[in-house]
Amino acid sequence: MRRVLLSLTAAAIVAVAGWVLWERARAPVATPIADFSAPFVFGRFSVPPDNPLTEESFILGRHLFYDPMLSGNNEVSCATCHVQALAFTDGRAKSPTLSGGELDFSSMSLANLLWGQERFFWDGRAASLEEQALLPIQHPDEMGQNLDNLIAELQASGIYRKMFRRAYGSVSAENTAKALATFMRMLISSESKYDKYLRGEVRLTAQEEHGRKLFMAHPDTKVSLRGGNCIDCHSQFLTSGFRDALDGFSNNGLDPDEALPPGLMAVTGNPAHKGFFKVPTLRNIAVTAPYMHDGRFETLEDVMDHYNDGIVVSDTLSPLILEADNAPDNGQGTVGLRMTPEEMQAIIAFLHTLTDEAFLTNPNFSDPFHGDT
Amino acid sequence: MRQLLGFMAVLIVITVGWLALGPRQNSSTSVKLTFHAVMGGEPLVYDQFVYSNPGGEGTFRIRDFRFYLSNLSLRGGDDTFAEPDSYHLLRFDNADKTHSISLTDVPLRTVETVRFLIGVDPEANSSIEARGDLDPNSQMAWNWEVGYKFVVFEGGLQIGEDVTPLVYHVGFSENAREVVFTLPPDILADGGEEVHLNVDVGGLFEGTTQINMEALSSVKFNRVDAEALANNYSTMIAPAF
Repeated sequence: MRRVLLSLTAAAIVAVAGWVLWERARAPVATPIADFSAPFVFGRFSVPPDNPLTEESFILGRHLFYDPMLSGNNEVSCATCHVQALAFTDGRAKSPTLSGGELDFSSMSLANLLWGQERFFWDGRAASLEEQALLPIQHPDEMGQNLDNLIAELQASGIYRKMFRRAYGSVSAENTAKALATFMRMLISSESKYDKYLRGEVRLTAQEEHGRKLFMAHPDTKVSLRGGNCIDCHSQFLTSGFRDALDGFSNNGLDPDEALPPGLMAVTGNPAHKGFFKVPTLRNIAVTAPYMHDGRFETLEDVMDHYNDGIVVSDTLSPLILEADNAPDNGQGTVGLRMTPEEMQAIIAFLHTLTDEAFLTNPNFSDPFHGDT
Repeated sequence: MRQLLGFMAVLIVITVGWLALGPRQNSSTSVKLTFHAVMGGEPLVYDQFVYSNPGGEGTFRIRDFRFYLSNLSLRGGDDTFAEPDSYHLLRFDNADKTHSISLTDVPLRTVETVRFLIGVDPEANSSIEARGDLDPNSQMAWNWEVGYKFVVFEGGLQIGEDVTPLVYHVGFSENAREVVFTLPPDILADGGEEVHLNVDVGGLFEGTTQINMEALSSVKFNRVDAEALANNYSTMIAPAF
């Protein structure tokens, strides 16, 4: 009896050892994300062929996103300025720099990055999420990390070596970028009231529906059509900037020519792009205050006031914004939509239907180093 | 055995005959249509006040010009080839101010007639399905209740120091316009497979109705204005042989 038990144990040990060796030796086979589905109305998207969406890459990316090891002083992670409860913004006009100052731009929300404009940052300087991911890490004011040092630190961690091996085979800066890109691509928000409305599951209130109609209309006084003109820059389903070429960038009348920052012009060199910034998604917009690339507006009411009568004319201002006016007569020195207070409130009510509580609290997107998941 | 040999012989004869006399499998054609955006016969210039208001005072600049071309079909002899999912967004913001549509493996020996719509057919115009270059989340979508803009022209009109925004968005299913032209018989001979077409952007404002941009600086949802521009753009494309 004892003999049998002994041989069984020995066999089990051999089997386990063999399995461990096999597991270590074989090339990593990452698992495609199986239950991935996207709302039909979001339309086409593409994932780089050399970085398919896999479970292993997502897990690695999620850990990297929340790990302060990615910064030079080991105190700042991506999540420092991209907080899930705030739709991955930080609630500040401009994010703090490492030296105690503030950055030039407001932290951008990270949601539905698979769709819409495929250039990233407010000025579009990154042409892919893979390219984007490494820039804040190395920026001296943001995370101040040297990539070689980062790779050495990750190599020294058995847990990261294992996660990298499973996802990509080896620890490298390129694979770090790929994993972060996968995590960001999977931050999908599609459970807002608006999504449920589009799927026919709920009805909007009368005020929200009024706001939706205004959102989706360019005003035309000639046919008595009133509109908030939002859709001229924010696509109807995604509510983000447009995907095609550089259509997802615009000058929305914030500054006069003398004070107009370069924006997209810094990337393209085209003076017609001066003052153009990325049109952000409006998904979860109610929780991502303050607003605009420099966070100059504290509330959605401030934003509506800007579009209603606060447009500042400059040479590259969108003609769609300059032309859009709900009043037939000429304005008295102001440029804007000239809607009624009720219409502005209706649009704000509609914008609140874009809040997705399931996204803001999805445990799969949360900090893996804390909590239950 | 004999029977089998006989059967095989018949089979061979049929096969050889089919290859020699039957419809040629390799008789497909490649066609490339290259559209050149022009103003006054010259390549389009963006973002500069260099063009005269066709029907009035001032000079204008063009910030954006693009349009949908759909339902492209080619005819040669008695055969017609209709491109599947044929929805092309033509935009010209590139160095050459051109846009090319390449059709490969067109199952026609020759191409005599080219036919397409400027705009989108009614069925696709009332759908939110993304096909070809149709994208309901794009700049060309008005919204799902109204459909697509067919032709977009945006810019500014300068009179003295004042700049007026120009916004011409023409859509609605009734404003799709068919364009048909016949190719000269030798245009696709000897491997020459590229057909050049001029898109006269100024044609949007001239033709049946001459537009004074100062008086009509925008066209969006007014059906009468939209139809006037549609009648104008129906003749803006012409082959350049």
